[in-house]
Amino acid sequence: MKNNMRVERAIKNITQAELAELISVSRQTINTIESNRYVPSTVLALKIARVFGKPVEEIFTLEEED
Amino acid sequence: MVNQALQIMKPSMLFPYKSRFIGLALIVAHVPVRAIWEMINPDIDESHKLPVNAGDSALFTNGHLFFIASTLLVLTGLFLVAFAKEKIEDEQISQLRLESLQWAIYVNYFILIMSLVFTNGIDFIDMLRLNLLIPLVFFIVRFRWKLWQLNRLLKKEEV
Repeated sequence: MKNNMRVERAIKNITQAELAELISVSRQTINTIESNRYVPSTVLALKIARVFGKPVEEIFTLEEED
Repeated sequence: MVNQALQIMKPSMLFPYKSRFIGLALIVAHVPVRAIWEMINPDIDESHKLPVNAGDSALFTNGHLFFIASTLLVLTGLFLVAFAKEKIEDEQISQLRLESLQWAIYVNYFILIMSLVFTNGIDFIDMLRLNLLIPLVFFIVRFRWKLWQLNRLLKKEEV
């Protein structure tokens, strides 16, 4: 699974730390999601999508091997 | 909220964040207590051995009581350190906890089976000690190491 959270963050102009605080997770978690090391739960993915005001599919997309 | 019920490990099963420091204090306190006791009683290793034969009445001697007390002290400390909440306890942390617990069980049973094969009954007390400490110690080390790796990744990113 890949994601374009970095781009979305840049558009919204918020840091990893600010996003982390908005959805009450650690900065480490935001960082590992962005670098595709951690796959968030559905709840967390929906929360992230809500922050960016977009549907989940526009932020997270499946890859070939998924 | 609904999502709290969905978390893999309920935060209510963990101790408060600050109990980690109480746990560390207990572990540190255990060291001088034990050292002083061993200085006063150089034969401690004999005095608290479990009775090997049914007729032995070595339970609840001074040595045995001290062994119980000091073991409880260090175990309480380890439990508080191992299962204290992180400052921000999120789902990734819960996942790391579970993985580390699984590793700790694997390692403990590996060592247990090895010691079953390669020791005889006399070393029973040593096996008991290993089993008391290894799961918690290994869990703590593995979990902290993983958290340290996450933090290192974050720092790398910031540079």
